[in-house]
Amino acid sequence: MQLQVKDAGDGIVNVSLTGRLDTPGIDNIETLLTAHLVPRGARAILDLSQVAFLGSGGIRMFITIARALGRKGGKLVLYGAQPLVAQVLETTSSNDIVPVRSDAAAAAVARD
Amino acid sequence: MVRSQRLEIRFPGTHDGFAQAFLRLRGALDAERLDAALRYNAELVFEEIVANIVNHGAADGREVDVRCTLEPRPDSIILTFEDDGVPFDPRRHPDPSSPRSLEEAKVGGFDLMLMRRAASSLDYVRTAAGRNQLSVKLQRNCP
Repeated sequence: MQLQVKDAGDGIVNVSLTGRLDTPGIDNIETLLTAHLVPRGARAILDLSQVAFLGSGGIRMFITIARALGRKGGKLVLYGAQPLVAQVLETTSSNDIVPVRSDAAAAAVARD
Repeated sequence: MVRSQRLEIRFPGTHDGFAQAFLRLRGALDAERLDAALRYNAELVFEEIVANIVNHGAADGREVDVRCTLEPRPDSIILTFEDDGVPFDPRRHPDPSSPRSLEEAKVGGFDLMLMRRAASSLDYVRTAAGRNQLSVKLQRNCP
């Protein structure tokens, strides 16, 4: 699991994840991702286009980070999910509470 | 042509054991002619069940012994999981309610929900030897 962080302008942080959000992948990435985003209460958009697998551990991680960001005035928006990954977000209804958009431009302006 | 080779993986219920076993399962699935959705569902079932065993299976901190069997059939694939952890029948746990807000959202319960959605059928038994045995059927050409 790899992570790339870029400044997307307007105070938005764009994070690209590459790999699998299964238990081993989450073990690799969760502490690092949280450290990049939560302490500064980032407004973050998360690129899932290169994430080939998402399980419930990834959902838990997204909700935990989004909640922590919300308490600090930040926000987490997901975008670019592949169809089977998007289906997991829909099945769990987590897309009702962590916004999911089709691309970076839509994610950057997401309000809810 | 369906390759019908049974695979059995035995591993400790630890994060390292999980990672190694998942690699072996994925290698075996590479050899099957599975459509993308079925392949994803097979991995999802393994992920959710084994993560549950690793995280919750040991009552006293001891290492749980886990066995996973992959059995390809012409119309389906069967994944069977056996472990000597605490008794756990995933059929008896309801799905979590849909979260109304980020603050109210629970972060647990999605594992069983995803596993049940992926499976065509589930069979569970606590064996006479004191092991959980969960068999999951995944239909080929699933919608």
